[in-house]
Amino acid sequence: MRLLTVGGVIAYRALFNWTTPSMFVGTLLVGPLFQLLFFAFLGRQLGVASDSFYIVGNAVLAASVACVFGGTMAVSNERRYGTLGHVLLSPRPRTLVFLGRAVPYAGNGLLIAAFTLTVGSLVLGLRVPLGAIPGLAVTLAVGSLSCAFFGLTLGALGLRFRDVWLVSNVSISLLLLLTGVNVPADHLPAWMRVVGGGLPITHSAEAARRLVAGDGFGAAMPALGKEFAVGVAYAVVAAALLKVFEAESRRRASLDTL
Amino acid sequence: MALAIEARDLRRTYRTRTGWLNPRRVEIDAVRGVDLDVRRGELFGLLGPNGAGKTTTIKMLNTLLIPSSGSARVCGFDVVSQTREVRRRIGYVFGGDRGLYDRLSALDNLRYFAELYGVPAARQKRRIGELLELVGLTGRERERVEGYSRGMRQRLHIARGLLHEPEVLFLDEPSIGVDPVAARELRNTVAGLAATGTTVLLTTHYMAEAEELCDRIAVIAGGEIQALGTADELKHHAEGRRVLEVQAFGVSDSQLAGIDVLPGVRESSVDIVGTAQVLTVQSDATVDVQADVLRLLDGVRLGRVTARQPTLEDAYVAIVGRSPVEVAA
Repeated sequence: MRLLTVGGVIAYRALFNWTTPSMFVGTLLVGPLFQLLFFAFLGRQLGVASDSFYIVGNAVLAASVACVFGGTMAVSNERRYGTLGHVLLSPRPRTLVFLGRAVPYAGNGLLIAAFTLTVGSLVLGLRVPLGAIPGLAVTLAVGSLSCAFFGLTLGALGLRFRDVWLVSNVSISLLLLLTGVNVPADHLPAWMRVVGGGLPITHSAEAARRLVAGDGFGAAMPALGKEFAVGVAYAVVAAALLKVFEAESRRRASLDTL
Repeated sequence: MALAIEARDLRRTYRTRTGWLNPRRVEIDAVRGVDLDVRRGELFGLLGPNGAGKTTTIKMLNTLLIPSSGSARVCGFDVVSQTREVRRRIGYVFGGDRGLYDRLSALDNLRYFAELYGVPAARQKRRIGELLELVGLTGRERERVEGYSRGMRQRLHIARGLLHEPEVLFLDEPSIGVDPVAARELRNTVAGLAATGTTVLLTTHYMAEAEELCDRIAVIAGGEIQALGTADELKHHAEGRRVLEVQAFGVSDSQLAGIDVLPGVRESSVDIVGTAQVLTVQSDATVDVQADVLRLLDGVRLGRVTARQPTLEDAYVAIVGRSPVEVAA
């Protein structure tokens, strides 16, 4: 358990590049807030959807930058510091070592999403029912965790492929397009909806919208369950990729471990 | 006798592929049949030129690489099939600036690796304190590693490698790039470890370091062990030779080539020491090449000229010089 918690937090401080106050506030808090305002005003102009649609969707999505890039850094930055070999020499289970690293990023994402939802609601005048707040907290947490495991999967790819940041950048754009956060899902072609269903954020955005609409936690549960399943699937994929790449590195010397 | 490390016919071949349209496969035999027996508590040196196979050998012994063939055991555990058991018992330290989390303090680096290496929480604080004291970083442990000198980083590497009190410590060129004072402190630390019963496998380029520290030394070149023994035993490889050292300023490649083919000359090399060159010529003990060498250096400004008995370094040059092939590792 300590490896998961204490280890995860130290690894977060060691490997996450955006922990300085200026980077954190600028990149993770202010940036997503302006994105929310941009899409809300664009939506008003085009009459596509209500402010609520954009505020809630973009608040859930706000976690993605910290979680996707953070999850990627959590693994692939080991290369930058030349520490991968020492991590691989640990006798502890890899699943705990690496999956534990997703937890601080998920916490980070939750904080950012909550901030974006609060400030966005205050600025644009959205009233969130008090009774929906516990459910929203759970939804944002599940969405952030799912996103962090998605980032960890990309980070695992970064062990094998040097240009993983390209994949992370494209993934952020895909989340913007395919998760139904800014473009209503029923406006998207069927194949895009299918791809979006396999991405983090999609289902938690839907659950959050139901909660803000006052439908109650029961109505949000199916979407929340799907988001949870997506997160678990990415955690399994990340763990499998890490295992495969480690085994491959021992056989083929494919990782520049030291 | 209990062995800490035993390797039998250890081999490692790297396969690389270059090109897409017309791919070309290249096989490089980095280690070609290494046999090693290192006793518990022994300080064992592995010497060799760049690309000799030292690091590849260590990576196979510490479980980071699977041998292409052959077998190896550390503390009685197989390095391929019993990796967790091996990893619990080994520490690994390598030279250079990388391998630490620069954004963290030394204390946090050690805390994290203590978690990774399974040091029980109740013992971590005491153990980390002991190690900071051992490597002389007490008082600096809360500073970020990015501000550390290379010597301090190297000492932190050693502390990290010792966190879980390993039975076997692999030191891969730990003093590379370290200033002489820091290198001496490192040697003292390593000698202290061996005195406490830790088995140490040390790779180094520095002969004096190997001669001062190691109980036995193996010289590896071309992926094969070329010689093995104590420092005194290895010096026999240079028996029957004499060594001429000439301090010079401006020896050309063509002059060096001329010296190489003089009758009786076995090896010659030039090292840069400060602003001067030091030309070392090994020759048969029965042949005095000094006059011929000085004649070939006519026109070159010369300093001190010394004739001396062979050292471990001369023996090493003799051993490596007769190895058949040098292979990149």
